[in-house]
Amino acid sequence: MNALASLVARLDALRWSVLPPVVGIAMMAMIVGALVAAPREIIEGEVQRLMYLHVPSAITMYLAFGVTFVASVLLLWKRDMRWDAVARASAVIGVFFCLMVLLTGAIWGKPTWGVYWSWDARLTSTLVLFLIYAAYLLARSVAGPLDEQAARYAAIFAIIGIVDIPIIQMSVRWWRTLHPQPIVFQPDPALPDEMLLVLLVGFAAVISLAAWLILLQFGAERAAQRIEALRSQVDRRETA
Amino acid sequence: MDNLEYLFAGFAVFWAGLFIYLLLLQTRIRVLNRQIEQLEERLAEADAAPPVEARPIPTPDGPRSAESPST
Repeated sequence: MNALASLVARLDALRWSVLPPVVGIAMMAMIVGALVAAPREIIEGEVQRLMYLHVPSAITMYLAFGVTFVASVLLLWKRDMRWDAVARASAVIGVFFCLMVLLTGAIWGKPTWGVYWSWDARLTSTLVLFLIYAAYLLARSVAGPLDEQAARYAAIFAIIGIVDIPIIQMSVRWWRTLHPQPIVFQPDPALPDEMLLVLLVGFAAVISLAAWLILLQFGAERAAQRIEALRSQVDRRETA
Repeated sequence: MDNLEYLFAGFAVFWAGLFIYLLLLQTRIRVLNRQIEQLEERLAEADAAPPVEARPIPTPDGPRSAESPST
């Protein structure tokens, strides 16, 4: 745990020095790649370029909720409230990217399917994931930042919630859906090399953006914990 | 099929969402830092303040010191 905690501390120190320029350059590269460099898709037209934002956002959402899962397990194991701050920070970013996936998917769906929304297995299971972690954040925010019991209950909820991710991933195979089948994460990606390269740049950009946002949010969560600790110290001193 | 308006809308939603989130986070961090400073000042003041003096406790026989035995 100490190794992980020191890694988080080291990454935290980078949040204002290294990460902002790296994220800025990567995001610019992603935009140029998606809007200019990538070839135009013949059937879907220009709107297909949203894939370079939508697919990396989806993978980033999985990673962020994965961090929440790991931090929740470590919180239950080590009883260290720093893991609660990590879990909450990554859940906030996971929920943000989940919302972006739902919105960009809906905007892509209108010209492609003719509707913004369909109660398709992939879309519905992604909406359920959004609601699960939004409920986690809401429930966790009701209690104080240093309420250990609330943190433990919320951690159990976050651990159970991760079960939805394999369901989302497999939904296009298990059920008949409108959503396209996976074309990237398979042994022989069914995507031209130019598109694949831009998509990989998109992954690097969006994942680095999420890492930066998680660190910023983690700083805010730790500050909230510190305030609660300071408040109880001040109350003790002033009533002594 | 061009669908440029949908492409624009998709990117606009993403960037608008990101900027709104960063703005809210920046505001929250500023408020939290201000609260930390205020609490640290209060803590320093509480540490610097002299201990509370023992005040006399009124009794039917007249006031006596809190430190004195209760006999």
